Amino acid sequence: MKLPDLLSTGWAEIWAHKMRSFLSFFAIAIGIATFFYTLSVLSQAYRHLQKTSSVAGAGRVETTTRHPLTLPQYKDLLARLPENSSLSFRTDDHFVQEGTWNSLYHRGTQLVGARIYGVLPTWQDVDFVYELEGRFINWKDVENKHQVIVLTVFPREVKERKTRFWWDQDNKNTPVKDYTTHHHLLNQQVTLNDQTFTVVGLLHLPPERQDARLPQNREFVPTMYIPYTTWHHVYPSFSEENNTPTDIRVVTGKESTARLAGKALTGYLRSQFGPDEKPELNFFREKVEEKLKDARKSLNNMLFMGLIAMIAGGIGIMNVTMAVIFSRTKEIGIRRALGASRQDILFQFLVEAMLLGLCGACAGMVLGYMAVLHLAEDTSQMTFSWWVIALSVLIAIVTSFLFALYPAWQAAKLKPVDALKYE
Amino acid sequence: MVIAECKNLIKIYSGAQDFRALDEVSLSINQGEFVSIMGPSGCGKSTLLNILGLLDEPTGGEYLLNGTPTAKLSDAKRTRLRRDSIGFIFQSFNLMPKLSVQENIALPMRYTQRPRAEILERARQLAARVGLEDKLLNTPLQLSGGQCQRVACARALANEPSLILADEPTGNLDSKASTDILALLKELNDGGMTIIMVTHDPKIAAGTHRTIHMKDGKIV
Repeated sequence: MKLPDLLSTGWAEIWAHKMRSFLSFFAIAIGIATFFYTLSVLSQAYRHLQKTSSVAGAGRVETTTRHPLTLPQYKDLLARLPENSSLSFRTDDHFVQEGTWNSLYHRGTQLVGARIYGVLPTWQDVDFVYELEGRFINWKDVENKHQVIVLTVFPREVKERKTRFWWDQDNKNTPVKDYTTHHHLLNQQVTLNDQTFTVVGLLHLPPERQDARLPQNREFVPTMYIPYTTWHHVYPSFSEENNTPTDIRVVTGKESTARLAGKALTGYLRSQFGPDEKPELNFFREKVEEKLKDARKSLNNMLFMGLIAMIAGGIGIMNVTMAVIFSRTKEIGIRRALGASRQDILFQFLVEAMLLGLCGACAGMVLGYMAVLHLAEDTSQMTFSWWVIALSVLIAIVTSFLFALYPAWQAAKLKPVDALKYE
Repeated sequence: MVIAECKNLIKIYSGAQDFRALDEVSLSINQGEFVSIMGPSGCGKSTLLNILGLLDEPTGGEYLLNGTPTAKLSDAKRTRLRRDSIGFIFQSFNLMPKLSVQENIALPMRYTQRPRAEILERARQLAARVGLEDKLLNTPLQLSGGQCQRVACARALANEPSLILADEPTGNLDSKASTDILALLKELNDGGMTIIMVTHDPKIAAGTHRTIHMKDGKIV
């Protein structure tokens, strides 16, 4: 019998016994939904972390010191790091309480949520996922403590999850976010906490571009960058307190030299601030690997559940196939009498079971897709790879095939004369 | 020319007590013959028909179909020989209830390599031959017993067999339908088809060329 005939016969049988078919592929659908969800989230996590690594820079190590650092200290530390390393500092964030936007925005308005950082130009060497309009902070700005500022601009259309949960509240729009999104502020003056800056650059993150940074490195509130030295100059009261930490970031370019850089960093900070200085080193590669490990661990449990559902589905299909063969023994006899070979009978029941598996896969993928939309943490960048779909279909079909093999073989083994006698 | 030849066929059903259903049966059927087999229940008529139709294997003896010894054939070869050489007509029609008349007639051809269009066209022609051209899309449940048996006759002819085996083809039919089916079988036989028919009815057997009487697994 040719494949189209096998398919049409199989489909006719499935359609003729809709309820039975539905019950038998339901467990398969649950299993496939679990697989689909798990594989989609896992592949998304892998893809994202791959991108994260690519924008993060190789051999990246970060630490924080409680002390502000000077430009001579920058040069001194850089000289101790492995060759071709990039070193950059960032001050702690400073919250903007009020501001004036070139007289367009009223003085005294609360600008809750906007943050100002002081950075060195090298801060843009890594994690720079933006399209830069204008320019970034340069060394001249740093050396001369220029009152310049670079703003992040949120895209106008941010795809947000329809269902809002209570933990999403910190993601809400702030006045600054609204304002910078809807007004072009390049080359304009802004006054923030009584300090006036010229906007020299805007950092855009187009909605269609995936943010490859780790979630904790992303901005959910408007972020502004001013020169590192300017920050210490204009907010002295803030920096004089002994709790104004400086983030130090080193990128060596090679994973093999990250440890060496970490050692140099610790040594230098101790030499500068005494043996009590105990900087905690964060090796980015380790952080990424840890994230992956966490993702894998939590998803392993899901995969196990999916496997159990698939086995239950397979047993369901086996049970149904056996019942079908029992009720269609006479039909098998007639078909054998009319010229069907054992192989024809075997294929007929296998194709029918695999069609059931395919139905289960389709239903399961719809369920899995819904699960991804409603349960996955980060769906804005979720894409459904063809291989996840193909693998889900393959798993369902192979499961159905394996579990239907025994009953189908039993059917094929029936002697035509015995099958014909069956009533 | 001999179509089917049996030499000392033995069929023993094993069980708590072995039962000898066929006891050294020898017979030969010539091309174009219309042979009826008669005998009381349990005499071995159906067993003989099943062996002649390659649905069952004898315990001993030899059966040649179109000159081919069948004893040592593999299941695949037996299936192919059965598909290409034998057409079956059953007492209870044995049609597929969910398939249309056309699909039922086409069923034996589905197991060949013929193209689908050719299969459907031949099924239509065969339906016309048995007078059911206007019922092509009906299912067996929408037909009378006589019409169902006509469909079964058309199906038996699908792969142009050299031998038709009919197991009490009129057993489930009223007298009018029985007469029609018998007339159809005679018409087929007149066209050169070899037919072996099991029947209980001496009147029907009288209409065939030769009647084989069986008793206790033997031809008498």
